[in-house]
Amino acid sequence: MILAELFVSGIGLTGLQRLLLMLPLCLSIALVYKTIRCERLGSVPLATLGLWVTIVLGMYSVGVGLWAAFAILV
Amino acid sequence: MPDRNPNAWVRMPIAGFLAWIIPGLGHIYLGHRMRGLILLVTISVTFWTGVAIGGVRGTVDPKERSLWFIAQLCTAGNTVSSFYLHQSVAARPSMNDEASVVPHWASVDVGVHYTGVAGLLNLLIIFDAIARAESSCSTGRKNGRSFNGETR
Repeated sequence: MILAELFVSGIGLTGLQRLLLMLPLCLSIALVYKTIRCERLGSVPLATLGLWVTIVLGMYSVGVGLWAAFAILV
Repeated sequence: MPDRNPNAWVRMPIAGFLAWIIPGLGHIYLGHRMRGLILLVTISVTFWTGVAIGGVRGTVDPKERSLWFIAQLCTAGNTVSSFYLHQSVAARPSMNDEASVVPHWASVDVGVHYTGVAGLLNLLIIFDAIARAESSCSTGRKNGRSFNGETR
């Protein structure tokens, strides 16, 4: 029951924390995808790291691009 | 139509069903134990992290977030147990005040994304378990090849 209480109320987040919480979510996506795709499990960590960096850089680039477009146009 | 071992018609739905109920269980059933354990831990941790961030009442809510709930349902065991927790929390007399148990919308938003993505990732895992069951039983095809013929 004590463990269940952890999931009842949720936690408050700042804007920066919301941005940072994208990192573990992307890591989870990369890990699941590479665990499915790689035949040898030994190659999963390195492949996951590469995909994680790609996703994070891509997502932040899109975010910065949209932010810049918004700042210029509005 | 590829020749299939009759076992495939039994193993494919069982692997898919087990993967749907508990992430990775389909892989464990097929003998890929370590792969199944990695998937089980990753999906479960992602899902329950989302519930912890957003709170169970805001995150797993079939009335307010029906489309996200469908995505969450792709990992049935986690979603059903969290929905049970949602119901039991809602039944508490002290929890009638919505504002006291549903955190800020930003937290709920992050929690919903975590749980929804966990469900959609489990959909990939279900398809992979079915494909592995099919390829391990089919004749005339090498093991370790996916349904699109790509070497993994």
